[in-house]
Order: sequence, then C-alpha cells, then structure tokens
Amino acid sequence: MSQEYNNNHEILIKFVNLTKRFGDFIAVSNVNLEIKRGEIVGFLGPNGAGKSTTMKLMAQLLKPTEGEVWIRESRNGIGYENLVKLTNHNKDILLDNIGFLIESPAFYGNLSPRTILKYFGKLKGYPRKKLNSRIEKVLGMMGMEEWIDNKIKTFSKGMRQKIGIASAIIHDPDIIVLDEPQTGLDPKARKDVRDFIFDLKKMGKTIFLSSHLLYEIGEVADRIAIINNGEIIAFDTLDNLEAKSEKSIIQFEILAFQEEKVQSYIEELKKVIFPVTGIDVTAQWIKYNSDSRRFQVLFDGKPSNQFKILKELIYKGYEIIEFSVPKAGLLEDLFIELTKKNTIKMEE
Amino acid sequence: MIVKQQLEDEEKMMEMKKRKKTGIRRNLTQIGDTFTFELRKNMIPFIIMMIITALMFTLFLILQTLQEVQDIPLPEDPIKYFASYFQFIFGFLVVLTAAGFAGSIIAEDFQKQTGNLLFPKISKSRLFIGRIMARFLMNAVCILFYYILVSSITFIKYGEIPTAILLSLAWALYYTFALFSMVTFVSSIMRSTSASIIASIFLYLLIFTMIAQIMNFLAGGVEPWFLLSYYENIITSILNMPEPRYNLITFPIGLGGVREFYRWITPDVPTAFWGIFMYSTIFLILAFARYQRRQSKSEG
Ligand SMILES: Nc1ncnc2c1ncn2[C@@H]1O[C@H](COP(=O)(O)OP(=O)(O)O)[C@@H](O)[C@H]1O
Ligand SMILES: [Mg+2]
Repeated sequence: MSQEYNNNHEILIKFVNLTKRFGDFIAVSNVNLEIKRGEIVGFLGPNGAGKSTTMKLMAQLLKPTEGEVWIRESRNGIGYENLVKLTNHNKDILLDNIGFLIESPAFYGNLSPRTILKYFGKLKGYPRKKLNSRIEKVLGMMGMEEWIDNKIKTFSKGMRQKIGIASAIIHDPDIIVLDEPQTGLDPKARKDVRDFIFDLKKMGKTIFLSSHLLYEIGEVADRIAIINNGEIIAFDTLDNLEAKSEKSIIQFEILAFQEEKVQSYIEELKKVIFPVTGIDVTAQWIKYNSDSRRFQVLFDGKPSNQFKILKELIYKGYEIIEFSVPKAGLLEDLFIELTKKNTIKMEE
Repeated sequence: MIVKQQLEDEEKMMEMKKRKKTGIRRNLTQIGDTFTFELRKNMIPFIIMMIITALMFTLFLILQTLQEVQDIPLPEDPIKYFASYFQFIFGFLVVLTAAGFAGSIIAEDFQKQTGNLLFPKISKSRLFIGRIMARFLMNAVCILFYYILVSSITFIKYGEIPTAILLSLAWALYYTFALFSMVTFVSSIMRSTSASIIASIFLYLLIFTMIAQIMNFLAGGVEPWFLLSYYENIITSILNMPEPRYNLITFPIGLGGVREFYRWITPDVPTAFWGIFMYSTIFLILAFARYQRRQSKSEG
C-alpha cells in the first residue's frame, strides 16, 4: 500500500485487484474501488453480476482468490488511523466499524426484534446497558417502535427488511453495507428504506449500497460503480457517467402510424436515422414502445444531431407529431447500454 | 451546539473503549451470548420435546400397569423394574430429542440465508460451540427428565431409588451426546432442518438396525463396536452387567448341520467409553469442517 493512500484519510474502504473464482467461473474480476468517508456509493449491476460476492469478500465470508480488501482502522470511534489489509486475524477489529446486510436473510420468526437485535448488539460488543435504548432508537427511526416486542413471523416483507437494516446498524458502525435493500418491496416500503438511507447519510455514515435497478440508486448515490460479469465497467457520479456515455434517447410519434407494420417502419427508419445519430454502427438501435406509441432511438446527445434526425424525418415525409429527449428514460437505457456493450472505459 | 457535539464525541469514545474487547475475551463473551440466545430461540422445541418425553414415559407406565392388572408380579429387584423403562423405545427417545435439538444446528443457517445475518458478526467456530452447549444442555435436560420420571415411579413402587441409576444416567447422557453429534453432522450436509431430522431418524431406525442384523448373520463372532447404536445397550447393562456379553444362538441348517452365532448384548465399559468418544469426535470434526466450507446458496 502506497503512502499516498495511507495519508488520504478520506478513503475508508479500498478494494485492490479483488478477484473471486468459483472453479472456472469468475464471479468477481479484478475489482478496484475506493469508498470515501461520508459518501454513498451505489453498486449497480444486473442479477449475477457479482455484487453480493463482492460484499461477501468485504465481510470475509468468502476469501478472495486474488486481491485485497483494505479498511481504515477506526480510533475509538472518532478519528481514523491507517488503512489496514483485512485478514482472518484482524477481522474482529476492522469489521466492528462496518454493518452488513448481505442478500436477503430470513429471521427467526418466533423471536422479537428486541431479542434478536440484543444478541447482535452484544456480539459486536455494544455496551450492554445501552442496548435497549439503542434498539428503541433505531427502530424508532424506522417507525417500528410499536413492533419491538412482536414476533417477527407476523411481519410483512417490508418490516422484515427494516429489521434486517436495523441488524446491520445496531452497533452504530460508521460504514454500512446494504445489498439490494429495496428489492422485492412494495413502493411504500421502498420509499421508507430510501428515506432511511438518506437519514443515515445525514448522520455522516458511509454507505455502500447495491441494486440491479438504476433508479433505486440514482436518487441516493453520490457515486455509482457499475459491475457486469464481475468487472467494474464504470465508476463515477451519475452526471459524469451520462456525460461520458455520450448517449441519449430521442423519442418521437408518427401521425396515423399503423402498428401492424411496425417492423417495416423500423427498417425504413433505420435507413433514414442511423447515418445521423453520431454513434457507432454496432451500438445503434431503434425500438417501438406500444404503450406510449412512440419510437425510441439512441443518439450521441448532441443538439446538432438531434436537429439532423428531425430534419431527415421531416424531409422523408414522416408526419412527426411529437419529438423529445426524455430525461427519465435515459437513465435506465444508459445502464442497459453499459452492461450490454461495456462502452465506457473506467477512468484510471 | 458545538459543545453538545463534543460531549457526544466523548461519550462515544468512552463507549468504544469499552467495546474494544478482542481476542479471548471477545471469544468468550460471544460464546456466552450465543448460549443464552440459543436457549431462548429453542424454547418451543424444548417444550415440545419435554412433552414427548413425558408421553413416552406415560406409555410405559400404562404398559406396566396393564401387566400389574393381569397379576403379573412386579420384579423383586427395583433395578429390574427401573430397567424395564429403558427397553426398545429409550433409544428412540434419544434419537428423537437429538434430532429435535441438533437437526437445525447447521442447516438453519443455509436454508434461508440466515447465516448472512450472523457470520460477519461472529465466527462459525464460536457460533458452533455456543450452539452445541446450549442445545445439548436442553437435550440432556429432556433425558434427565425421563430419568426423574422413572425414578419417581420406582420410588413409589419400592420405596427406594437404587443409586446405580446415576451411573446409567451418566452413560445415557454420554450416548446422547454421540447421537447429538451424529445429527449435527447430518445437519451440516443436509439442505434443510426437516431433511436432517428425517435423515437422522431414518439412519438410526433403519440403516443401523439393518447393519446390525446383517453383521449378526455374516460375522456373528465380531463385536459390532463400529455400530453407534450398539453402545446404547450399556445404558441398561451397566445396572447389571451380563456375563458373557453375548448369547450363543444356534439354528439348524441342511441335513443335521448346525450353525452358531453370537448375538452381542452390550459393550463393556472401556469399549463403550472409547467407542462413543470416537464417534462424537469424528462426527463433530466432520460437521465443523463442512460448516466452515459451506456457503449459503446465492439467489443470483
Ligand atoms: N458459492 C458459489 N459457488 C458458485 N458460484 C457462485 C457462488 N456464489 C455466487 N456464485 C455465482 O457468482 C455470480 C455472482 O453472484 P452474485 O454475487 O450473487 O451476483 P449478484 O449479487 O450481483 O446478483 C453468479 O453467477 C452466481 O451464480
Ligand atoms: Mg445479490
């Protein structure tokens, strides 16, 4: 580890060439990431990309095939000392300052949150006399104070997930690792979880948060690492990712369009539009969304090309009644593009 | 505001200092906390097992009473009366309670990824030790409960409790530990709690009995020390050690020929001690080795 990293006290976690193989299969491939104090790093990737495996490596639940995890040692919960390489021998101390919720573990249904959280708090050495008030405080922050002594088997999925998050933070760690905390929840519970993540950030926590959906992460994360097939293919702020992707979507609607002929329309449109989108031939596409009755086409985001596309369409006699660059659709598509083509090179 | 922040920081510093327990002290407190948590977590299985224990005793009591009603006299020796409560079904009680307490001991962490809540917080070895202590204690209490029930009825009938039964109890608990270890091993290789409970009982009731039968027939002269269930016999035999420790069985084959074989009744004390010791150790080591390597199945 170079002196430079040790001196940069802003970095709390660092993955160095982290690699995990299961037999011949590479689940995590040469991952390099840094997580700074107080930031939320989103960890985005489709199912099976290697998100949970990376988090398990961080928790020493799995041993890396190659590479290292470095964690900054906390000095009595206030300042920080050096970045230290995580091993089996120092994991008790180093991991004390991190709270994990990896995948979606089930709870013991016959016990109450209080019993379970008390056990977890004790395991992590939280002062015993303060445990009860800590449990009440944490569940209170999540609006679950009335449920503290109820059996977990009576809880909804969203409530269980909140208990899962509570179990990760019960010992008041500075770093919190949450693996797809919003997956499978209803919209209300998803919003609760997201709000809670914001609360944690306000308290100065450092958060590493995974998801397979960009919109869950885009709202909260300061920086996003995109992982696909075990490799990090991008790591930046959302704005920079968008700028770097040099891509956007145009959507347009054609008057009196006959849906049965969509395929031949698309073939015709390709000939008209593809020469002026400004992006590589292999990455181009046009699709039709039957819900909105609109066509979508990928282009390089430059206004001059946006105008060229419109001009060509009109010139060829298409009766365009709607033509726009939607902000919302772009995020999802950016992510799909990235994981499909690996077109963005990670900044060195 | 700033003052308040400073106070909070100081308070936090004090707290963190207190919790900097690592090494052996951390190991011990974690094992202790796991122990109490496990007792709590398994309270319902415990109550169920105590009820089953009481029911089994009641069943024997009814059988005894039926015999008495038919004017079959009570054995003169209270030890004989006592031992009659340990025929056939006691081994089943042991395997049932062991399966009840140890069936989930490892499988439960992988069945629904519950282990992902625990392992970053506690190592598998500490969890394993704490769990075995708590659950074996509960298992032992069930067995003790059965002894207390049988002793009570013996006292009612005879006005005395032979002290030799304490020796029997010690062997019963030792043997229970071996079966408990076996179930722990089964739990380490099975996918779910229910699968390991069923597999353990099946292993005991069918496989062990079958091997014993086959061995009797094929190699009747060899003492079946390699059969875990053979050691169960010491629990009652210790009250009244037979001499010799086998029956010679003869039966005719072909034209006037006779075939003889031994049916072993019980191991002697050293054989039983080392046999049970060997079984418990091997099962626990295998179970832990498997536990260490085992990963929860990813949903990805
Ligand atoms: N213990 C394991 N043995 C073999 N393959 C595994 C194991 N754990 C995960 N994998 C594989 O590694 C890949 C990454 O899994 P995972 O990290 O769970 O993905 P994600 O969390 O991003 O959905 C998947 O293809 C998964 O099947
Ligand atoms: Mg996952």
